[in-house]
Amino acid sequence: MIDDDRELSGMITDFLATDHLDVTVRHSGEAGLEAFRSQDFDLLILDIMMPGISGLDVLKRVRNTSAVPIIMLTARGDDVDRILGLEFGADDYLPKPFNPRELVARIKAILRRAQPQAEEDRVYQLGDIRLEARTHRAAVNDNELHLTGTEFEILKCLLERPGKVVNKEYLSERALGRRLLPYDRSVDTHISNLRGKLERAGNRNETIQNQRGVGYLLIPGN
Amino acid sequence: MRSLFLKFFVAFWAVIVLIIGAAAIGGFLYAEQLQKTIEDFEVGNSMQEASAALERGGREGLIKWRESTPPDDGVIIFFIDDTGRDISFRRIPFAVERMFRRHRERLERFRRSDEDRRDFPRSRILPQLVAPNGDVYTMLVAPVRAPEAFWSNQDIRVLLLIFALLTSGLVSYALAAAFSRPVRNLREATVALAEGNLNVRVASSIGKRRDELGMLGRDFDSMAEKLQRAAERQKELTRNISHELRSPLARMRVAVELARRKAGELPEFDRLETEAQRLDSLIGQILSYTKLEVDPLHKATDVNLTDVVREVIENVAFECGSDERIVFRAQTDNDVTIIGQRSALVSAIENVLRNAVRHSPPDGKITVSMDLAAAWLIVEIADCGPGVDERDLPNLFEPFYRTKESAEKDGNGGTGLGLAIARRAVELHNGEIVAQNRATGGLVVRISLPSGD
Repeated sequence: MIDDDRELSGMITDFLATDHLDVTVRHSGEAGLEAFRSQDFDLLILDIMMPGISGLDVLKRVRNTSAVPIIMLTARGDDVDRILGLEFGADDYLPKPFNPRELVARIKAILRRAQPQAEEDRVYQLGDIRLEARTHRAAVNDNELHLTGTEFEILKCLLERPGKVVNKEYLSERALGRRLLPYDRSVDTHISNLRGKLERAGNRNETIQNQRGVGYLLIPGN
Repeated sequence: MRSLFLKFFVAFWAVIVLIIGAAAIGGFLYAEQLQKTIEDFEVGNSMQEASAALERGGREGLIKWRESTPPDDGVIIFFIDDTGRDISFRRIPFAVERMFRRHRERLERFRRSDEDRRDFPRSRILPQLVAPNGDVYTMLVAPVRAPEAFWSNQDIRVLLLIFALLTSGLVSYALAAAFSRPVRNLREATVALAEGNLNVRVASSIGKRRDELGMLGRDFDSMAEKLQRAAERQKELTRNISHELRSPLARMRVAVELARRKAGELPEFDRLETEAQRLDSLIGQILSYTKLEVDPLHKATDVNLTDVVREVIENVAFECGSDERIVFRAQTDNDVTIIGQRSALVSAIENVLRNAVRHSPPDGKITVSMDLAAAWLIVEIADCGPGVDERDLPNLFEPFYRTKESAEKDGNGGTGLGLAIARRAVELHNGEIVAQNRATGGLVVRISLPSGD
């Protein structure tokens, strides 16, 4: 956890400990990045509003090298931070102040999803897009897609029902492990990131379409 | 030029001096020319001929002689009798007549005084002819009235007209442009500033001028600078308040949950949690209200209002956990688009709708209707709650205004700012918001926005 509020992060450490979650805390972007490089973490909680290297900068640098699940803490009502955070590859966000039980729920949802499920051994193929559930890898033709866990899960949901609309509530439950909230644009932002990555990997035939107010569908190429 | 005052002063003065100077020089040259005409005229010959004619035929003879001898070299000859008139009553030009009168008065003075008549300047003596019957006629040689001749020349007239139009036009244009262009620049900047573009500066267009307008421009820039800094400070302050008030609140909520885990479930913990949430939403509302106060509409875009209304209904329905409570009736087939700030419009409609939900019984229906009337787009949100006392209606949109009923019914979840935010957002769009009691019970809030076409 990287957060400059020492008292808050101390209390959250205590709280998460009762849920058997082991937390390492750093209070600045620099220290956080250093700790992140020297150790393996399952998940990163990142405060966006920090002096020095901002949370967004930390997010970008971490994402350059790692697909670790990231939950960012934003100021409530600050849409810019939230949208930028998701665009820079955060998996989910939680506006401060939050109920720590909500934080635990999100951490668990993301960790559960991040674990490769042994029983699932399917390989999805639609046109140029190929996704292997077991190895957690996706590619367009032979170009590997570097997806975050959330983007991977969303692509999998869409590949499960090609050509059919998958609603946003379902995508939120599956990919973020939580209910869709009012004014929640997380799924939309993840989809837009996913589109960008597919396109940059050379995908021209399959398209992700938006069905207004309902959800998204992946349309197979001709 | 250094100052506008000097510019106007010098320009007007220069034009006037130029005109007077031109007239004076023209007049002087003209007078010189006339003088020369007279000097060139051989008075002696004419006088002898005229004298002979008078000798022969008296006054009539003199008239005849004058008529038969056309004046050459641009002069005209008057013969003035002792009544002061010309022999055949030719009109004597005023200047000539005056000269003549003075001449006579002077002669008169000499006659009465003891001065020696020989002292009278010879050049001033006008030739006098004496008729056989003893009448005396004074001969006056005057130039033909040349101005008429001068002005009757077509070419000169046209040339002069063109010259006058050109010079006066150029001077007027330069002066007007020097004055109006910077004023126009300044005006555009003022309008932009009023619309909320605090980045606008006029230094590049008029800031380098060294006159009063340049000074005004620099003053404008420093004013805009100060406004911008104040707005930024306000924004910064808002951000800080958000952070500083919410940080302890965040710690408090974690502390409550920790306490819950250590001490077990107590109803007071739920209460603490609710109050913390209420405080949080109040901070949020205050922030969005101040944001509307300082953030004008300069980032306006096309907003599909039908879309906004649908989205808000969806979200509020989600919050109150029922899809059937809010009914949407659009009276227009097409989506309606207005120019404005989407987030402000969302929060206007959202706050009114939440208010309607809050004051309706749990299963009460809320109707949202949308209509186009002339140039207005009207969104009506009608609830089936108890309505509002008529005396409270005008104050309903004041920040933190509480009706008697809502003051008694403490803690209905409202922050007291929702409707104030709605009004502020609607007014920013030049719209109007009013509340009325419905005949059938309940309150209806009508939002009217200019539709822009």
